[in-house]
Amino acid sequence: MSAIVKPLIVFLGLMCLWQAAVSVFEIAPFILPGPIAVIEVAIARADTIAEHAGTTLVEILLGLAFGTLLGSASALMMAYFRQARSWLLPVLVVSQAIPVFALAPVLVLWFGYGIAPKVAMATLIIYFPVTAAFYDGLRRTEPGWIDLAQTMGASKAAILRQIRIPAALPAFASGLRVAAAVAPIGAVVGEWVGSSAGLGYYMLLMNGRVQTAAMFAALFILAIMAVAIYFAIDATLRRLVAWQPEADPATFS
Amino acid sequence: MNDANLLSASPYAPGLSVRNARLGWNGLELLSGLSFDAPARAWTCLLGESGVGKSTLLRTLAGLIEPLDGVDIWAKGATNTSNSVAYMAQQDLLLPWLTAADNVALGARLRGETPDSAKISDILERTGMTDRADARPRELSGGERQRIALARTLMENRPIVLMDEPFSALDAITRAQLQQLAFELLGARTVVMVTHDPFEALRLGSKIHVVRKGDNSGAVPFSPAGTALRDPTDPSLRGSYHAIMAALDTPKTPENQGNAAA
Amino acid sequence: MKRLLFVLSLMFIASPAAAADKLTVMLDWFINPDHGPLYVALERGEFERRGLDVELIPPADPNDPPKLVAAGRADLAISYQPQLHLQVAAGLPLMRVGTLVATPLSSLVVLADSPIKSIADLKGRKVGFSVGGFEDALLGAMLDKHGLRLDDVELINVNFSLSPSLMSGQVDAVIGAYRNFELNQMDLEGRPGRAFYLEEEGVPAYDELIVVAKRENASDPRISGFIDALEAATQYMVNHPDAAWELFIKGRKDLDDELNRRAWRDTLPRFALRPAALDSGRYQAFAEFLKRRGMIESIPPVESYAVEGR
Repeated sequence: MSAIVKPLIVFLGLMCLWQAAVSVFEIAPFILPGPIAVIEVAIARADTIAEHAGTTLVEILLGLAFGTLLGSASALMMAYFRQARSWLLPVLVVSQAIPVFALAPVLVLWFGYGIAPKVAMATLIIYFPVTAAFYDGLRRTEPGWIDLAQTMGASKAAILRQIRIPAALPAFASGLRVAAAVAPIGAVVGEWVGSSAGLGYYMLLMNGRVQTAAMFAALFILAIMAVAIYFAIDATLRRLVAWQPEADPATFS
Repeated sequence: MNDANLLSASPYAPGLSVRNARLGWNGLELLSGLSFDAPARAWTCLLGESGVGKSTLLRTLAGLIEPLDGVDIWAKGATNTSNSVAYMAQQDLLLPWLTAADNVALGARLRGETPDSAKISDILERTGMTDRADARPRELSGGERQRIALARTLMENRPIVLMDEPFSALDAITRAQLQQLAFELLGARTVVMVTHDPFEALRLGSKIHVVRKGDNSGAVPFSPAGTALRDPTDPSLRGSYHAIMAALDTPKTPENQGNAAA
Repeated sequence: MKRLLFVLSLMFIASPAAAADKLTVMLDWFINPDHGPLYVALERGEFERRGLDVELIPPADPNDPPKLVAAGRADLAISYQPQLHLQVAAGLPLMRVGTLVATPLSSLVVLADSPIKSIADLKGRKVGFSVGGFEDALLGAMLDKHGLRLDDVELINVNFSLSPSLMSGQVDAVIGAYRNFELNQMDLEGRPGRAFYLEEEGVPAYDELIVVAKRENASDPRISGFIDALEAATQYMVNHPDAAWELFIKGRKDLDDELNRRAWRDTLPRFALRPAALDSGRYQAFAEFLKRRGMIESIPPVESYAVEGR
C-alpha cells in the first residue's frame, strides 16, 4: 500500500504548493491557473479530453513498438556485422543529435497530417536510446560464458540466442525505460507541428483561445499518461529481468 | 571410484602431453619450454603463482586460444577439442537467468539436444543439490554454485576435464568439501587442474608440475607420497609441503630473469 | 489634458540632456511588411521626436505578446482584433489603443487550379488552419452562408505551415493565410493561390492588426505619443511609398527580397490612415458575431476594451 500512498502524498503536496504559489504571488489565471480551476475544467470537458488522450496514447504506444523493434534489429546487426556497424553508427548518432523539433515539419510534409508523422517522431526519439543500450549489452557479454559455450560445442547462433541476448536484457531494459520516458515527447511534438486530434493539438488550440485552464488540464492528463506508461513498462521489465543479482547500495549490510 | 557407471566401459581415455609449449598474452611472452604429461584417468595439478600463465595454458588446451607455438596435445587418438574436453573455471559461470537444473543441462541446450532429465536428477543428487534444482543462481551460496558448476561439468561427460582454480574463491571449509566431492565424481577421468594452492595440489594431484614465468625447460614434476585423495591429517604430507614450497621459492637463474621482465 | 501632457513631453525632448521614455513593443510575428509604419517611424525618428525610446521585439511564440502585456512584461503588443475579443472574455486586462491594419488580411486560400470554385465546394475536404483559436468560427460563418456545417470539412492544425501544406497538396484549403503575404509566397513558388475574402463571405469586417496595452495603462501619454508617431509614418508611406520601402529595409538587408517587396505593395492600401481612430460599431458587431458563433458568452461594453489612441 505504501507504494501508492507515498507518491500520492507527494502529488497532493505539489498541488498545495501550486495553489499557494498562485495565491501568494497573485499570478493571473491566463498565465498560470490554480489546480482547482484546472481540475474543474478537466471534469467539465472529460469527454473531449479523453478522446484526445486516446489518440495521443495510440501514437505513443505505436512509436514505442516500432522504435523498440527497429532499435533491437539495429543493435543485433551492429553487434554481428562489422559493415553494419560502420554504416549504422553515424545514422545512430545523427538521430540523437538533431533536435526533433527541426525534423518534425519535414516528417509532416512527407507523411501528411495523420497519425504517421507522430508515430515516426516517437520512433525516432527512442531509436538511439534503445539501440545504444541493447548494443552495449550485446557487446559486454561475460567472456567466461562465451568460453564455456565454445568448449561445449555451441554454434555462433546458439551463443547469440541463448547467451548474448538474455545477458543483454538488463542493458536493453535500461534503454527501454528511457524510451518509455521520452516517447510521449515525440508524439506531442509531432502533434504540435500538424494534427487534428491529440493532447498536443488540444493544448495548442486552448492556448490560442486563451483558455489556459483547459490547456493545463490537457497537460495534466498528458503527464499522468506518461507516468503511467513508464511505470507499466518498468514493472514489466523488472519481472523480465528478475533473475538479475541485486546490487542495490541501499541494501548493503 | 564411484562414477564408473557414468563413464561406463568407454575405452577412450586419452591422456595429455605437452611439449615445449610457448605461450603469450597480448603479444607478451609469458612462458616457454613447458613440457608435461597428464596421464589418462589421473589428476594432474599445475601449480604456480598468479600471472605465470596457467589460465592461458588451460584455455589453450581447451582450444579457446592459439598458442604462440609448440603445444602437442593428444597422446593418442587426436580428436577435436570440443568433443573431448569439459572446462570448469574459477567463476562458476552459471547463467543467472536459468535455474540450477537448466544450468546443469546447459551443454545439451546449447547444442540443441534434448537434456536427459534422469541423468540430471542423478547428478544433482550426487552433488547434493536436489532440493535446489529450481533455484536461480542469485539464491545460491558460493559453494552451492560451484557444486552446480561441477554438476554441469559432469553432465558433459567428457573424458578430459580442465579446471582453472575452481575452488579458490571459496572459504577453506567449503573448499575442502568441494575438493572431496570433485575428486569422488571426476577421479576416473583425465583431469588437469590449475591451482596456486600447494595444499590443494598435494591433496588432489597424483603428479604436480610447478609452472614458472619464463623458461620452464628441464622442470621435474613432483610425485607426492601416497595416493590422492590425501588425508590432510597425514604427517607425511608435511614433508611434501615443505618440498614444494622450497621449489616455489627457488630464485630464478640470471638467464630466466631476463625473460621474466614484463 | 492629454494634449497638454503631450506638448510638455515634447518640450522635454528639446533639451538633449532629457532621457527618452523606454517603450517595449512586442510584434505579432517575425518582421514583415505589415510592420511598415513601425519601422518607418523608427527610421524617420518619429518616436525620438516624441521622447520615446521604442524597442520592437519579434515574439518567440505568437500567442505570447498579448499575455506579456497583460502581465506587465511588455508595454504594447501588436495583436489581432478577433483575438482581443477572446482574450478580454478570458479575463485579460487588455485595451485596444490603436489600429495598424484596418482591413482583414486573413483569408481562405486554395490553389489557383483547385476544383474548389466556391465555399460550397469545401464539402468533404481538408482545411488547414494555424493556431489562432478562432479559425473555426470564421470558417463556420463562411460555411453557414452556403448551407454547410463545420463537420462537413476536416479541420487540420498545420501550425505555421500554411503555404507549404497547401502547396504540397496535404490540405485542400487553408484558412488564416494572409492575402498580402501567403498569396505572394505561393506565387513566387510557382504554385499560385486563389483567395476567398472573409468579409465577402459572411464574416463582419474587422481590424487585422491592432495595438493593445494593459488596460490600466491605456491613458499613458507615451502611448498617445506612439500612436501619433504611427500616424506620421503612415502618412509618409502613403505619400512616398518607394522611399518608405528603403527605410523599411535600412539596416535589415535580410528583409530585402521579392516576397517582401510584393507584400509591401499589397499592404500599402490596407494600413489604418487614422491609427488612433476607433470604430466602436465595428467592434460591437464583431463581438456580437463571436457570441452568435458560441466563441464568447457575453459582450462587455466596447469602451471597456477599446479606446481612441489619443
